Amino acid sequence: MSILSLQNVGFSYNKSTKVLQDINYEFEKGRVYAIVGRSGAGKTTLLSLLSGLTSPTEGAIIFDGKDVRKIDRYKYRSHYVGVVFQQFNLLPHLTAVENVELSMRASGKHIPEKRKLAMELLDKVELDDVLAKRRILKLSGGEQQRVAIARALSYNPDIILADEPTGNLDLATQEEIMDIFQHLAKEENKCIIIVSHSPEVANSVDEVYELAPLKEKRRKKPAMEDKVQPEN
Amino acid sequence: MMILINAFKSITRSKGRNILIGIIVVTVAASSSIALAIKSAASTAKETGLENQTITGSISVDRQKLMEGAQGDGDSGGQADMGSMRELMQQYPDLSLDELKTYSESDYVKEFYYTASASLNAAGDVEAYSTESSSTSSDDSGSEQNGMPDGMRGGMNGGMDSSGFGGMTMGDFSITGYSSESAMTKFISGESKISSGEMFDVESSDLNCLISNELAVFNGLSVGDTITLANPNAEDETYSFTIVGIYTNTSSADSSNQMRFSTAQDPANLICVSYNALKAVTDNSEAVATTSTDDNGSETTTALSMQTSGTYVFSDKTNYESFSKELTGKGLSEYYTLSSSDINNYDSSLVPLENLSSFATTLLFIILGVGAIILIVLNIFNIRERKYEVGVLTAIGIKKGKVAMQYITELLAVTFISVIIGTGIGAAASVPVSNNLLALQVSSQEAAQNSQQENFGRAGGGGQGGMQTRGSGGMFGNSTNAVEYLDTIDATISIEILGQLVGIGILLTILSSLAGVVFVLRYEPLKILANRT
Ligand SMILES: Nc1ncnc2c1ncn2[C@@H]1O[C@H](COP(=O)(O)OP(=O)(O)OP(=O)(O)O)[C@@H](O)[C@H]1O
Ligand SMILES: [Mg+2]
Repeated sequence: MSILSLQNVGFSYNKSTKVLQDINYEFEKGRVYAIVGRSGAGKTTLLSLLSGLTSPTEGAIIFDGKDVRKIDRYKYRSHYVGVVFQQFNLLPHLTAVENVELSMRASGKHIPEKRKLAMELLDKVELDDVLAKRRILKLSGGEQQRVAIARALSYNPDIILADEPTGNLDLATQEEIMDIFQHLAKEENKCIIIVSHSPEVANSVDEVYELAPLKEKRRKKPAMEDKVQPEN
Repeated sequence: MMILINAFKSITRSKGRNILIGIIVVTVAASSSIALAIKSAASTAKETGLENQTITGSISVDRQKLMEGAQGDGDSGGQADMGSMRELMQQYPDLSLDELKTYSESDYVKEFYYTASASLNAAGDVEAYSTESSSTSSDDSGSEQNGMPDGMRGGMNGGMDSSGFGGMTMGDFSITGYSSESAMTKFISGESKISSGEMFDVESSDLNCLISNELAVFNGLSVGDTITLANPNAEDETYSFTIVGIYTNTSSADSSNQMRFSTAQDPANLICVSYNALKAVTDNSEAVATTSTDDNGSETTTALSMQTSGTYVFSDKTNYESFSKELTGKGLSEYYTLSSSDINNYDSSLVPLENLSSFATTLLFIILGVGAIILIVLNIFNIRERKYEVGVLTAIGIKKGKVAMQYITELLAVTFISVIIGTGIGAAASVPVSNNLLALQVSSQEAAQNSQQENFGRAGGGGQGGMQTRGSGGMFGNSTNAVEYLDTIDATISIEILGQLVGIGILLTILSSLAGVVFVLRYEPLKILANRT
């Protein structure tokens, strides 16, 4: 049985621009998924829907048999899904380890020895003690990305949503992160959903969903289309 | 718990923002605490200043009421009509000694004493003390004084308490008879001291007297000598007093530059005797008096008249107030009033403090208003700045309510600490600051008083009691009784004020965080995160 499923999901930010239409995906525990697609295809938007940050304008998202729209989405976010945001969304005035601890406390789950566990998680994503105790603003993009991954894992959620989690990482680190994800899926029966452009990532997952952009109204040259979206 | 941890981290990690809020709250708290301390000191002074203190009071005709009464009667509508005023004044003369004594039997009255004063002329080789060239005082004394224009006398009497000379003839000396030792307030307070000889027997009706040192020196008199004084209406009616003591006035009450209509008004020419002695003199004078009727048909007598005034002593202000009520209950006409120079003086001494207190109240409201506005604006900016943080916190699943709580907690903590610091500063500064402010008030009050005195020749004191003198009244009456303003207060910060300040702090926090809370509750995390940069 799938833990998360999209049923005829459609979404538009406003009346004139429709981003997603009629999406039907199934996600199961114990598997790693990749969502691929061109820039601006709506991958981040899809993750926002899956993480309950916003609700679909058409169709429904079913988590564990229940419509996400109808459950406490704060609890859903803090307990059941861990999100690695494309822009990390870490708190700059806190240190790496404090950011991880904050999510542990936010979940309200009973986690003994938060500091120790947080340090262990950071160590897993190759961040040593010195970096762990540094403020976010003083970390590099790749380091911040790894803090965001550690944070998503910290309260042991059932589902992990990661928006280009390896986008800023070298190949070796990327492989290590993918190993962590594979391990979580296979050994701890988690459901891992990764958005990625990387072919290596797409090759190492169990299933790939390709998100085709909706018919573009404006004709653009390919060079223009490759341009990165200004903001998410 | 999480809220507290987040709040604590947030405060310690973003000092700049919090220091700014802190400075504002410290300023507000410090100035508010000073203002509150002044207010509470003022009300304490008013409530407790006369607590457990004996109060003296006397019953007198209420001229203000008489005037109003006359105004009410008059056909001239509004204009005080002198005829009906005079009529009322005759209808309600000063209470007689017997009446005063009857009232004194009240349980509220601790003690009753009275003094009588009369005016006598120099006879034989005694001369009234005068600082002016001696010719004016001795040669054309007595009768000349009577030539004083009526209007002038009236004006004078109006300014003074019930102690004026009414229709009395003015002599060179004023003689005051005291009913008991407690009546001799000047000797009790130490204002006057016996420098040689001794006090006369206050019960005795022997013609023994105390004279001032100035008078003694002026005439070369010493203890044991006698002075002979005459009835100003009948120069051959004389009385001889034995000087048993000579007194000095410690406060020379700037007697020299006072405008006087008679030497009798010079404190140096005050002769103190027992009431019984003075009574014996006036009784005798009455017995030998001759009466005559002048052209207008009004009767005049040569009998020496005396002015009696009684003083009630109360153990405290409550008894004074109860007695006042009792008097009305006993049917004392509304045209008489019980008044106390102690209370009047004290009340006028509080004028600068009360001014300061109301100034402090206004200031308090301004400070709070401005403080609240600044804090609200500051918080709106802070929350905008913290938009991203709100987005992240809600995105990781922290409820908006908790985020709002965290912000309020932060503000409360900063405010609380600032209130404590501000109160500390206020506590250290409030006593000197409030005393300095009070000193400023006192001096401006005094300046106002002085210019009033220069222009109108009398103390204003807000119309109440600036000129009232104690029991013995009359003869001292002219020495301007400058109000001694209360010029130090104990503006310390009490637990009560601390409580009020904390209340103010909480109120400010809630008010100023309102904007932020509304913001937090209104936005969706995705919108905030999407709209950043
Ligand atoms: N808040 C928003 N309001 C309006 N339109 C938006 C908003 N966010 C994204 N879009 C639009 O929706 C479309 C999908 O955006 P999305 O961020 O999901 O793309 P993406 O697939 O994640 O792209 P990328 O690979 O560059 O991250 C884009 O055309 C984008 O311009
Ligand atoms: Mg994206």
